[in-house]
Amino acid sequence: MVDVTVEHDDARTGADGAGGYLITADGVDKVFSTRAGDVHAVRDVSLSVRHGETLGLVGESGSGKSTMARLMMGLMPPTSGTITFDGVDLSAVHGREMRRLRARMQMVFQNPYGSLLPHYSVSANVAEPLRLHKRGDKESRRKRAIELLTMVGVNPRFADHYPRQFSGGQQQRVAIARALALEPKLLMCDEPTSSLDVSIQAQVLALLDELRTSLGLTLVFISHNLAVVERFADRVAVMCLGQVVEIAPTEVLFDSPRHPYTQQLLAAVLPVTKDPLPAPATPWQPRAEVLPLREVAPGHFVREA
Amino acid sequence: MSPSLEVEGLRTEFGLRDRVLRVVDDVSFTVEPGQALAIVGESGSGKSVAMRSVMRLLPKTGRIAGGQARLGGTDLLALSERQMRKVRGRDIGMVFQNAMEALNPTLTLERQLTEHLKWHGICDHAEAKRRAVETLGDVGIPEPEKRIRTYPFQLSGGMRQRAMIAMAMVTQPSVLIADEPTTAVDVTVQRQLLDLLAELKARGTGIIMITHDLGVARYFCDDAMVMYAGRVVEHGPIRRLLSRPAHPYTTGLFESTLEVGARQRALLPIPGSPPDLAYRPTGCAFHPRCGRAEERCGREEQPLLPWPGHGEVDLLHAGAGPERNAERREVACWKAVEHG
Repeated sequence: MVDVTVEHDDARTGADGAGGYLITADGVDKVFSTRAGDVHAVRDVSLSVRHGETLGLVGESGSGKSTMARLMMGLMPPTSGTITFDGVDLSAVHGREMRRLRARMQMVFQNPYGSLLPHYSVSANVAEPLRLHKRGDKESRRKRAIELLTMVGVNPRFADHYPRQFSGGQQQRVAIARALALEPKLLMCDEPTSSLDVSIQAQVLALLDELRTSLGLTLVFISHNLAVVERFADRVAVMCLGQVVEIAPTEVLFDSPRHPYTQQLLAAVLPVTKDPLPAPATPWQPRAEVLPLREVAPGHFVREA
Repeated sequence: MSPSLEVEGLRTEFGLRDRVLRVVDDVSFTVEPGQALAIVGESGSGKSVAMRSVMRLLPKTGRIAGGQARLGGTDLLALSERQMRKVRGRDIGMVFQNAMEALNPTLTLERQLTEHLKWHGICDHAEAKRRAVETLGDVGIPEPEKRIRTYPFQLSGGMRQRAMIAMAMVTQPSVLIADEPTTAVDVTVQRQLLDLLAELKARGTGIIMITHDLGVARYFCDDAMVMYAGRVVEHGPIRRLLSRPAHPYTTGLFESTLEVGARQRALLPIPGSPPDLAYRPTGCAFHPRCGRAEERCGREEQPLLPWPGHGEVDLLHAGAGPERNAERREVACWKAVEHG
């Protein structure tokens, strides 16, 4: 083991934040002001992710799922509402404190090539977060980077190659290794397999599955691919036009969806081994006003339609 | 009745500085009127290049090295560029994955939709505009008279994709090549677009759909052709291919695909990644990733042959599809999976 110690803020890590939740969004709104007027990207979203849990976030393009990811990572402030990570309100921390928190929440993006530094070798890419957070010296960081590359299945022989010399699947493995460099608690995965070929997608999913178990990671897994989310998440939140319309344990959501939008989304899936469900005769039309979210069964919330 | 497209022994090569890469190697298939063929494969398998060869839309470094593509008695591969222009857009159309890149951002839909009707001398502008408006309405664009005056950027992604399909449909081509037409759109829009293409199919257009989505292939297509490293590894009726994949690569693709409502099915990724054609493995190109490979797979490749023999009757789907499908299945593997 290389001597790269991870500083944990024991006072905060010890206490489990709000009742076993690692990250909580409470009544979050996000409005972007553009020349064409205000865009209400996220409306009244409350979500929470328990330690070690994987929350799936599904929705179509423009539903606000990536905005939600960036809000939860503290990459931009919500217009209203609060995000709490490990018991700390993100709007209350700045500078050094924020930096320390960031080390414990990392992100994996859709396009691995776009998210890696093209002029750094892959080992330098993986070591970069360690350098930025002043962990260890140059030599120990490189050793750690090689350990991480090995862990994600990249042959360390190619540690000094550049990202463009790797295939998309290998690039995503490198991006995952970099995200894990600071030993985060939360891994935010925004469409991590969407740009990959089918056979490679399965490999990367298998890797993420293995890592979350062995490292005890908490995951937020954003995808428009319902099959991937069904396989991967413990609980699923469905987003539509900036709102969460339904949230439930995965099996419940897929076996007995209650919200018409969730039903519509599931009916649009084209299965490989059987015929698709009949499409609803009249597609669901969202209403302008914000309707309340009700608990219909333990842990199963549905917005009124 | 539209003619069928018969492609035989298609070979396409790309010239690099110091060598020649064969990107499409001996690809043959037939698309009959009103039928849809899925071409399934991962990036670099040659599926798009094969279709661009048929359209004669290869980049300058690409060269058709052999084969024929017959459409109603004409070999498209033997036509001059001038002759091909008369066929392209009129007899054979193409729809691309990204409408924003395929449509001209500086022209209104009216210019883009009437252009080839006029260019091919099918009708005058007034009639062309009438047909363009009608087609836009057919593809589900609301207020087509008004929308025809808009530019592509003024439409949403789904609407743009519809406009591009309208552009390909307006001349009522005999064959339509759709290159991942629904990959960039949301699932709820995907089904609407496929149902739209199904209407075109019902009117007798033969459709070739390039896709990596087995669910889309199963929903829309009659037959499927699986490509790997430029060659066809399996070809046959789509439902049979999915219920009983024979080539280990087809099996691998199937087992790598997650499906809603199949939580119990194991996710079995194919190890490794598709080969770089510059370093094509010897023998069967799939053997380094294949769990069934044996020593001879690295030395020689089995050609695509009928499998498991002519006249096999598909009991599972007998009567489900056209009879002609029941007989035809080809696999390029000696270790093809036998299903009991």
